[in-house]
Amino acid sequence: MRCLKYFENNYTMKNYKLAWRNLWRNRRRTMITSASVFFAVFFALIFRSIQTGSYGYMYTNAIESYSGYLQLQQEDWWDEKTIDNTFSYSETIEQLLLKDENVEATIPRVESFALASNGSTTKGVMLMGIDPDKENLLSDLNQKRVKYRITPEALEKIQGNDLFSEKSKEAAALFVGSSFTNEERLLLDLDIDIEEADAFLPLLKKYAHYDAEVIKLGEPGVWLGDKLAQFLELEKGDTIVLLGQGYHGASAAGKYKIMGLVKLPAPEMNSRVVYMPYDIAQEFYNCGNNLSSLVIHLNETDDKSVRKTKERLREPIPQHSRVVDWKEMNEIMIQQMEADNQSGILMIAILYMVIAFGVFGTVLMMTAERRREFGVLVAIGMQKKKLASIITYEMIYIGLLGIALGCLITIPLITYGTHHPIIFKGEMAYMMEDYGFEPKLVFMPVSYYFLWQAFIVGLMVFFSLIHPVRKILKLKVVTALRA
Amino acid sequence: MKVLELKNVHKIYNSSDIKVHAVNGITLDFEQGEFAAIVGPSGSGKTTLLNMIGGLDIPTEGEILVDNTDLSKLKSSRLIDFRMNNIGFVFQSYNLIPVLTAKENVEFIMNLQKWPKKKREKRTLELLKAVGLSDRINSRPSKLSGGQQQRVAVARALASKPKFILADEPTANLDSKSTETLIEIMEVLNKEENITFIFSTHDARVVKRAKRVITIEDGKVLTDLRN
Ligand SMILES: Nc1ncnc2c1ncn2[C@@H]1O[C@H](COP(=O)(O)OP(=O)(O)OP(=O)(O)O)[C@@H](O)[C@H]1O
Ligand SMILES: [Mg+2]
Repeated sequence: MRCLKYFENNYTMKNYKLAWRNLWRNRRRTMITSASVFFAVFFALIFRSIQTGSYGYMYTNAIESYSGYLQLQQEDWWDEKTIDNTFSYSETIEQLLLKDENVEATIPRVESFALASNGSTTKGVMLMGIDPDKENLLSDLNQKRVKYRITPEALEKIQGNDLFSEKSKEAAALFVGSSFTNEERLLLDLDIDIEEADAFLPLLKKYAHYDAEVIKLGEPGVWLGDKLAQFLELEKGDTIVLLGQGYHGASAAGKYKIMGLVKLPAPEMNSRVVYMPYDIAQEFYNCGNNLSSLVIHLNETDDKSVRKTKERLREPIPQHSRVVDWKEMNEIMIQQMEADNQSGILMIAILYMVIAFGVFGTVLMMTAERRREFGVLVAIGMQKKKLASIITYEMIYIGLLGIALGCLITIPLITYGTHHPIIFKGEMAYMMEDYGFEPKLVFMPVSYYFLWQAFIVGLMVFFSLIHPVRKILKLKVVTALRA
Repeated sequence: MKVLELKNVHKIYNSSDIKVHAVNGITLDFEQGEFAAIVGPSGSGKTTLLNMIGGLDIPTEGEILVDNTDLSKLKSSRLIDFRMNNIGFVFQSYNLIPVLTAKENVEFIMNLQKWPKKKREKRTLELLKAVGLSDRINSRPSKLSGGQQQRVAVARALASKPKFILADEPTANLDSKSTETLIEIMEVLNKEENITFIFSTHDARVVKRAKRVITIEDGKVLTDLRN
């Protein structure tokens, strides 16, 4: 009842209307305040969208170029990836897994460490024995084959050909040693218009072509991560020497022809991976028909389905093996992203703090300027609570205006961005690749993080209201009138 | 009929070390229909007195009865309602809500009092007509002259049908022509509608028009003359 009465006393009047008009009294101030809220919302949303978007993208990359969503492994293998911790594979295991409704295929792997060397240069590598056809189910490895490479010779030829613009020549110089998995990226980085592709592609094919030959089960031959090849100074056609610890203490050694290079979006893979057919790897390690892991390829890959499938598979799998999910396999990356996420949130918090101080300053000024007006209103009979509610409306409008404008502009922008990621070119692209990132910004589609912004701005409005509301409730009419 | 009684009212300001006895034992009665001017030199206590009469300030000592209600006995939110229903105010300047038109400003208190729309509009138009602003009902204060603004303020003060209207130097910021118009309107309202006005002023021409002149000095009533 009291509540109802309060409601009547305070809200049946046109508070909201009066507040709306008050807003436009000092048009410029309202604009500036709303604009600052808008900028906060805008930057926070774009920033969050890119940040969470790139996490998603990196997870997907990690999953698709290596871990998959689930793997069947010998129980000790993940902790100690020696060839002794592999398991004996037979078709029945595959049959067993395929019985599950969510399992689409299995992808065999023989994975362990090895030492790779070329002359006196040596590096510890990750030897991945794969089924080249099946691997494509997961990682589309064929698409990641290096097709062009700007070698010093290629650069010389490009610079010697006057068909290429000065800009393209400069770009080519910048990208010496870089690999390309597709034409679009190559043209982009060389600053050549897609329209002119027909004129330049044949030339580039001649100068910079670098197509990998396929690797096949039963045929010795390896693909190298592009950065690893650079490190070891190896090229297609060269031979790589691999040394390792074979099954049950045997020593493993072999020489393999490099059939091609692959460029992987996950930097730590790109700099250490050597792919070979898994049966050749079995030979190398002398481990019979053992596998280190069996990637379980799924139909449904959302968190819940993955969890459910993992639970279902716990029972039927052989003794001494276990199903490991992508989160366990990418623990370090997830931790890094989490840390990065925290610092991102901190940055946004600081941004909002700065904006909040701005808004607070405005409110402070507004309260001081309107003291006399408040005095007159209370003198002629306006209850302080009503006056406070008008000010509250004013602040809510300013907040809403900022949020609405922010959303109105960012939603289409982000939606566009999710379909058309920002792709860097030139120096920026080169720098990002050098740091091991793909020169690409991916947006997270509009989702719950929008609500957070609304919540934060709401909080900001709330805090900035404390001062004027307190001032109004404590207002002494006589002093206010003298102002 | 007595609308206002002051019994031995004192106001002492205790700012820092100096004690200021701004109102020093004033006892006065006001009848319905008075047209009273309070005059006196600057600092004599006129504003302090009017503020206390209007319930905007509390006497240090003494009683102020408006229609037999002791203002000091009302707690703050009841006092605000009491002011709204019983006392009209016209201040020296910046009386009006800048974002509302003349009509909306006058309606404002009736709105707070929840008058039905039709009744409200009718009275608003009557009042604006009475102050001679029928043609400016939709103008905002910034589009009105100082004198016109004061007339709207008078109309607004009348809107709630108060027991009396308090005006602290209502003509202080006006030129002589606007002063003349305003005082004439107040006079007419007083004569024809029996509205009670209590106002302070420094302007001799305004004082001349008053039916009762109370002179105060150093917070005390010096003379209280009726003509
Ligand atoms: N808040 C206050 N604190 C201290 N002293 C005050 C305060 N308000 C008024 N005074 C003092 O009280 C006395 C009366 O002031 P008041 O404003 O009532 O005079 P007034 O007659 O209205 O003067 P004027 O004609 O200049 O408007 C003055 O001496 C003034 O300095
Ligand atoms: Mg005064």
